[in-house]
Amino acid sequence: MSGSRSPHLELRQVERFYHAGRPEEVRALRGIDLDIPPGEFVSVEGPSGCGKTTLLNVVGLLDSPTAGEVRWDGRPVGQRTDRERARMRLQGVGFIFQRFYLLPTLTARENVELPMRALSVPRAERSRRAAELLDEVGLSSRADAFPHQLSGGEEQRVAVARALANRPGILLADEPTGELDSANAEAALDLIERVRRDRDATLILVTHNPDVARRARRHLAMRDGRISADQREA
Amino acid sequence: MKRSRRGAALRHVRLQQVLAIAAIATAVALPVVLLSVGGGVSAHELSNLQNAGYQIVLSAAGDHGILAAHNLTHRLLALASVAAVSPVLSVSLDAYGNSSTPTPVLAEGVIPGEFLATLGPAEAGLFPSPLPLGDPSDSIHFENGSYTGPAIDDVLVSSPFAQANRVAAGASLVLSPAANRSLGVRFNVTGTFGVPPTALGPTGAFAVLVPLSDLQVLSGLATGSHGVTDAADSVEVAVSGSVTTNPTALESIRNEIQSLYPFYGVTSLEQEAQQLQSASSVLTGFYLALSSVGLAVGLLFLALVQVRRVESDRRSIGIRRALGLPATWIAGGLMADGLVVAGAGALAGVVGGYLLVEGLAKWSSAAVQEAARLAVFVPVTLSLLVLAVLALSVLASVAAVRAALRVEITEALR
Repeated sequence: MSGSRSPHLELRQVERFYHAGRPEEVRALRGIDLDIPPGEFVSVEGPSGCGKTTLLNVVGLLDSPTAGEVRWDGRPVGQRTDRERARMRLQGVGFIFQRFYLLPTLTARENVELPMRALSVPRAERSRRAAELLDEVGLSSRADAFPHQLSGGEEQRVAVARALANRPGILLADEPTGELDSANAEAALDLIERVRRDRDATLILVTHNPDVARRARRHLAMRDGRISADQREA
Repeated sequence: MKRSRRGAALRHVRLQQVLAIAAIATAVALPVVLLSVGGGVSAHELSNLQNAGYQIVLSAAGDHGILAAHNLTHRLLALASVAAVSPVLSVSLDAYGNSSTPTPVLAEGVIPGEFLATLGPAEAGLFPSPLPLGDPSDSIHFENGSYTGPAIDDVLVSSPFAQANRVAAGASLVLSPAANRSLGVRFNVTGTFGVPPTALGPTGAFAVLVPLSDLQVLSGLATGSHGVTDAADSVEVAVSGSVTTNPTALESIRNEIQSLYPFYGVTSLEQEAQQLQSASSVLTGFYLALSSVGLAVGLLFLALVQVRRVESDRRSIGIRRALGLPATWIAGGLMADGLVVAGAGALAGVVGGYLLVEGLAKWSSAAVQEAARLAVFVPVTLSLLVLAVLALSVLASVAAVRAALRVEITEALR
């Protein structure tokens, strides 16, 4: 399993409206233009409801823009079929959610193996790789535990291992420390940063916490569905 | 809090699944019982027909509708390939043995020499051979329709009757057409005969066998206002040799007899067997139609459970889809769940139906016990039933699959 190379991400005049044309219309993203080169670590900050998660969903192909274009390495991907986008997510994107979203009926090992099973990775290979990943996140001894038997910090580490299962080029983390205490939050961020660096993956990290955002090299600020600031550190 | 709510939801889903399994099991058990018992009884009757010692039967409308039975017997015996012709007259009588209280019996009047030749091997073994009923041709007493010859007045009694009334060979038995001993005739008991071990057999437990002419005279069916009646209820005809297994030749003889007696029904047992099989098929269809109602309810319940499950598993489905798992995986998972529930229900239904039939064979009324003991469990039929349930469960899962594939990922993860 070679893994996917980080693509160059481009958003051109991307808009995402919910209930478009109705009185209750919500304009979650408005005219977003964004370029993210491969391997960049980007933080997205902003108040609740400013469109951070929607931006992440559109970049990660969980959602389609109402207008505009999303490109990976110059190829438009935003309007592809559900099936194609699912395949691209499976191979190219690793998601780390605030609430971890591990499958409760699967063990830690099975959760990590799941994306590989969907890619038909041979059993021995995925078993070996899941063991490696769980070892990397320090959970070798908890491989057979179910999510409800894990602490929040452990659950998030399993979620990180699962996100890395298919060696994605893009890591999308939505408030990954939102449900963790400060010690676990620090550890989780260290882990995410390390695995990003080791794999040279693009990492987009959504947070409302300035201390977390400071770890990134590029900082986006959002307000009312628009990017209000875009700063790169030297 | 979230976990306990999730635990409660999972328990709720499991309860629904158990109920769906129970509903399907009930719906499957019904046809298992009906088909196995109905099929068993039909097969038994069919076997009786196929193992009978006669192949053609003459019958008439109403009671004792065959007239001139002795003459008819002689005419049929003269036909080529006819080996034996046995007219049978059945009349309910009162029997007075050692007690002054009458015992109702079914008396069968037969021509002794012909009767045994029309019995199948199993039945023939129940009777002494030759039948100790005097004149084998019953012609002496009949005396060409004048009934002026000496009556034989011998009787064979069934073993249960003999035991119940403490009657043995050598005793006498008064048989009367009414509950009045003085109207009866004294018969000599010359022996006993066995009855088949099943209540569904052709011979009644309390029966007596007497010469045909004796019974005709006793019951007033020998002569009437228009002269000789010589009545019988049916006439059984046994053919000889290879004709028994040659449907064309058998049909030819049947046609010949029918042309001689166009006013009687002349049926071959082959035809009766076909009619029985047709009736059996109709009943099977009816049982299946009846069961399909229960099955439809069970599968609707399964469909509901599956849709409810999608609702309660919305987040899990959203997670799987977010990770990029193919839609076929999610659909396949739901279908597999449906198949497991339906399969468990179907197997439970088959086992439950089997146990129910076994229970009926042990602990129900005598007639139901007999029927249940005849039950036949045909593996092919049971397998088809299970396969049909599995196929229908796939249909029942379609709505759930559609609902699962329409789950908005971003909504499910909110």
